[in-house]
Amino acid sequence: MAKPEIQTKQSFIIEEPYYESIADEIAVFSSAYRNRLPVLLKGPTGCGKTRFIEHMAWRLKRPLVTVACHDDLTTSDLVGRYLIKNGETVWIDGPLTSAVRNGSICYLDEIVEARKDTSVVIHSLCDNRRLLPIEKLGELLPAPAEFCLTISYNPGYQSVLKDLKQSTRQRFIALEFNYPNTNLERIIIEKETNCEINTACQLVKLGSMTRKLKGNGLEEGASTRLLINAAKLISDGILPVVATDTAVAQALTDDTEMLEAIHELSRSVF
Amino acid sequence: MRDATIQDFLNFNLIHKDLERYAQVDDVISEITALDREQQRLICDWSELIACSNRELAAYFFFMAPNASRHMDHQNFIAWIDLTITKFKKLGLDEAMVALKDFCKFSLSSIECYPSCQFDDVCRFLHYFVRGLGGREMRVISDQSTFTDTGTLFLPSSIDLFPFAELNYTLYKLTATHLWAQTRYGTWRYSVTKKLVENCLTEEKLAVFNRLECLRIDESVRRDFPGLYREFKALGDKDLAAREHWLQWRERAGILLEPGKTAEDSFFLIDDFMEFSLPPLKYYQGEMFVDKVYEVMRERIDREKTRFQSEWQTLRVHKDAAVGEEARQDPLEELIEVIKSDENKELSDLNIQITMEGAVSNISDSQQRLISSIFQDFDGIPEEYIKSIEISRSHQEEQSQIKSSNNSQDQDLNSHKLFKYHEWDFIQQRFRKDFCTLREFLIIPDDESFVHETLKKYGGLLKSIRKTFAGVLGETRLMRRQMDGDDIDLDAIIETYADAAHGLENREYIYTRYRNHNRNVAVMFMVDMSGSTLGWVNKAERESLVLLCEALEILGDRYAIFGFSGSGNNGCEVYRIKEFEQVYDQQVQRRISGIRPKSYTRMGTAIRHLGHLLNLTHARNKLLITLSDGRPEDCDNYKGRYGIEDTRHALMEMKQSGIHTFCITIDNQAQDYLPHMYGEANYTVIDEVQKLPQKVADIYRRLTT
Repeated sequence: MAKPEIQTKQSFIIEEPYYESIADEIAVFSSAYRNRLPVLLKGPTGCGKTRFIEHMAWRLKRPLVTVACHDDLTTSDLVGRYLIKNGETVWIDGPLTSAVRNGSICYLDEIVEARKDTSVVIHSLCDNRRLLPIEKLGELLPAPAEFCLTISYNPGYQSVLKDLKQSTRQRFIALEFNYPNTNLERIIIEKETNCEINTACQLVKLGSMTRKLKGNGLEEGASTRLLINAAKLISDGILPVVATDTAVAQALTDDTEMLEAIHELSRSVF
Repeated sequence: MRDATIQDFLNFNLIHKDLERYAQVDDVISEITALDREQQRLICDWSELIACSNRELAAYFFFMAPNASRHMDHQNFIAWIDLTITKFKKLGLDEAMVALKDFCKFSLSSIECYPSCQFDDVCRFLHYFVRGLGGREMRVISDQSTFTDTGTLFLPSSIDLFPFAELNYTLYKLTATHLWAQTRYGTWRYSVTKKLVENCLTEEKLAVFNRLECLRIDESVRRDFPGLYREFKALGDKDLAAREHWLQWRERAGILLEPGKTAEDSFFLIDDFMEFSLPPLKYYQGEMFVDKVYEVMRERIDREKTRFQSEWQTLRVHKDAAVGEEARQDPLEELIEVIKSDENKELSDLNIQITMEGAVSNISDSQQRLISSIFQDFDGIPEEYIKSIEISRSHQEEQSQIKSSNNSQDQDLNSHKLFKYHEWDFIQQRFRKDFCTLREFLIIPDDESFVHETLKKYGGLLKSIRKTFAGVLGETRLMRRQMDGDDIDLDAIIETYADAAHGLENREYIYTRYRNHNRNVAVMFMVDMSGSTLGWVNKAERESLVLLCEALEILGDRYAIFGFSGSGNNGCEVYRIKEFEQVYDQQVQRRISGIRPKSYTRMGTAIRHLGHLLNLTHARNKLLITLSDGRPEDCDNYKGRYGIEDTRHALMEMKQSGIHTFCITIDNQAQDYLPHMYGEANYTVIDEVQKLPQKVADIYRRLTT
């Protein structure tokens, strides 16, 4: 049976992804990588988890394989499956298997979205065994030293059905992410979008205003990602209030009063 | 204003280019400079404000305004702008341009007036808006007077100063902002309020203080919220004379406008300004009631002082545990330093850091809010706050001896089962063994007409809840490797193919099938029946339960409903309303109708008991949902920190036994303690009791899907 080679060179990150360190997460991740420990990234949406892993992949010079998990993701989707080609069955590695084979960093984004039985397949990869069982091939694939498994999840989800099992989470080094402090967030917005310093300040202020509304009508405050989106629109000549209405307010809620409140908060700072 | 100043203004607001489409810019500028100074300012202020929404409209306004201002008095001029803004928001740019163009046809008496702006229509918006501005969490309610007592903003029940709803709406926002800013920018610092009370200021002096503070606050708003300041400028004054009058005061009180000036500076200036005539209050300015502020403030200061000391006692325990025994001997005041960081003031309203022994301590959001509130009263943490409090053990012991009160008026309750439960003593860090006695009662059923009324009242809502819940039930899942099904399972057939090629046995499970997702959820609702739920809250709880039961019947989830209350450690009570295996029938409906407020809220014991019942059921997902209206409290020492820690411990025990816990509360102060008890993501605060029935079903759906 032919085993086509996965072209992982394509997933090498060539240019340095911009990332501002919040605390000692870069050092901890590097240490976990050296010690062959898997890493769990916790944090609200849009706070920089994916950017961090991209940055680390660049820093460690390893290819990055990202899998966006969803509730129909099966073990086969991760590990691989047989396909029929010219009347013959051909084994195709899934993203996890190819990451193990190539010593990549495998990033399972929003792992709680995946079916619970699916996440169990990673268990043996995450302890001292570092083995990926490929049941269909009857193979136990040992992970090379370069391989690193990283998963992410948002603990703010209010669903009891979407919680990470203890047996899974207790295998990981956990790094908690949150929105950066005001000063750092301003720098991030400025560097990401080349906007004026004043605009960045005003957006940060708006961001912190919406975060005060969390639990008071909003499920989440504006993420750094939303603020960056708004800054991009403003830098492109869109009026600040229009930019924040479309990039922040409308993205956060559908509630009329809340939309109005965010609109007016935005008008108050610009 | 000089030509160059106006030119700069146009460039700054980026309306220069748009203006060129209508006329020679220089011509327009010379028309503007021909007007008097106040009219020039008025036009510039409004142009700036309109430019925030649309630059083209601002340019056209700038072009039309000189001519219009010559034809209209101040009131008509403002109403004309109001009409333009209203048309822009409701009908778009073209209609707004037409409104500007037809200024000759405009007359205040001829316009079709929009209804005035009602408080009920804007209260939710104002609540969100003021919350977003930051500082202490304030309530917003309507009252005959417009003022703040530093805990609540009192606003008029309607505003109809302007002929159009849009400006009246903006005025609501500005009034709320101004009152909020009094607390935020220190008009009501404790030291100032105390001086105002002790000096028994005459009404005249208070009126001067109110105006001086208005100048100082407006300047602070200008620095922090330029957008709001633009609206303050444009909408604040009744007429041009008032505008001029305020300008004179502003020039005289120039010292107050410098950064760092406080209400004390305004206080010391009062006598100097007594000789000048008072400008009329700005539209957005309220009155000042020093006594009301002082009363609310003293009550808050006592409450926050106790909480602060209790919170820091905990921080110290954690710190001691981290650094070892020797640090335990140090007085607390040597360990804590509170730093208010002024750098980056443009970014953050109150940037507060706590350092203990030189290291920055992590503090929770609720602790941050507490300190921020104390800062707003004192501009720092008073020294006497930072001292160790010895919790009197003897007092605790004495209190713990208080046995259950004579709560046996409820003798009519017909079922008595006795249970013993431990209670967590956070001071001693150990359980009090079998400390609580709990009785289980069956609730006295009431007439089921309440249920029928509720179903009738919320008919529309119920229909939509049923539809949404049916949607949840309808969620299907693709089942792979089935004996038969809707489609061929590609993976399975390929494997079969491969097996056949290898001479292995053929597989039969080669189909996929959609099947309804098996929810396998058991949920226990724990309803607060404490005395404080008397009235609206109790009714809202019962209504919520009726709607919830109707919805849960569709889902088929197993559920039980119990009420809880009690008095003293030996008088804990839970009330059976519906058990897991019981059918939702008329009897259950009558028991829901019969839920009545009882006595106190000893939550920990109720959680342990109901969690135990929940654990007896077999379900993959077990959920304990509390409907509550306040913090855990009983008649003995089960209050404050003690009650919260026991409840927290009970919830942790639940979590360890695989039960998910969630709390739905209507307590506005809940953010101070619920994140600590339930965790950041496991509670919801509902801001209005009336919304409880609508929200509970929705929250349940979100929780379990």
